[in-house]
Amino acid sequence: MRLHTRGLLAAVLLLITRAVDAAGLHVDGAWVREAPPGAAMLAAYLVVHNDGDRPRTLVSVDSPRFDFVMLHRSRVVDGVAHMEHVEQITIAPAGRVALQPGGYHLMMPAPEPPPRVGERIPLRLHFQDGETLQVEAPVRRAGDAP
Amino acid sequence: MHGHRRQAGRSEIWWIIPGVVIAALAWHFYPVSEPAAPPTLQKATLLPQPRAIADFHLVDHHGRTLNLARLRGHWSLLFFGYTHCPDVCPTTLQTLATTLKRLDAVPTKPELPQVIFISVDPDRDTPERLAAYVPYFDTRMLGATGKHQELEHLARQVGIVYARSRAGKDGNYLVDHSAAIVLFDPDGRLHAVFGAPHDPATLAADLQAIQRHYQDTRR
Repeated sequence: MRLHTRGLLAAVLLLITRAVDAAGLHVDGAWVREAPPGAAMLAAYLVVHNDGDRPRTLVSVDSPRFDFVMLHRSRVVDGVAHMEHVEQITIAPAGRVALQPGGYHLMMPAPEPPPRVGERIPLRLHFQDGETLQVEAPVRRAGDAP
Repeated sequence: MHGHRRQAGRSEIWWIIPGVVIAALAWHFYPVSEPAAPPTLQKATLLPQPRAIADFHLVDHHGRTLNLARLRGHWSLLFFGYTHCPDVCPTTLQTLATTLKRLDAVPTKPELPQVIFISVDPDRDTPERLAAYVPYFDTRMLGATGKHQELEHLARQVGIVYARSRAGKDGNYLVDHSAAIVLFDPDGRLHAVFGAPHDPATLAADLQAIQRHYQDTRR
């Protein structure tokens, strides 16, 4: 009985902590670019909002649908497009970071069968403080209205 | 004294007549001989003089030769990239596809450009791969690639640079490449350059302004 109470208390505490954390961090506008036939690499995009009062850092993303997901960034420097791997993305308090075409994005190898419009792909975001966020990203053709 | 002055006045009148004729002729031919004012462009950079380039030899996604002759007779938009590029390249190709659709919808029916995606990664992008990849965006778009030497020969002439960058997590290498779109005129000369970032409305508007200016200057 005492053990049960303690377990329940721990679970409640954990839930409260989670809820507070989840309230401080949310993701919207997630989508995966439909793979053009023959494409070997794909990109996904989303916006991370930090509604809390301390910086939060996205360190990795995984998905059961992809072998790996990399944090990437496209940059045009002197007219030349570069793509680079980034270790982490920090979101300032009360700020947001948009992963969008031509900037930060998630890069994954195209799985077999490749994602098609209509599919929803689970993505799990891992933050430096151990927090994780689960989102479902619909597959879209770039250029489609969201 | 007075008579002499009158005589001088009369000879001046005789000079006025050919002057008026020349002025009339100049006025008549002025709109043809004087180039029209350069078009107002939102984004594109017009070359001061369209630049002729040396012939090149690539292979399109149908396996046919793509050379300078195939750029003549219509406007062409060229974009250089590679299919392993997940972000900038599909984004730009989608922008070009949307630009074509915007031009389709223009009531004055502007001349549609030929849109060519040139892969600077011929080791992975075969014509077959490009045949699957490029028409996905718009079936009117063409993919092409070629030997490294030929690609460099063309790229250098149109101010495009590219280079292999370090390998990714799975051993895949990346290719840094110019993000610009280059425009060839129907004479097969480099005519304008569109710098990144690209958007369909600006591309469509600038292209039409350039086409009108080109027509005006050769009337």
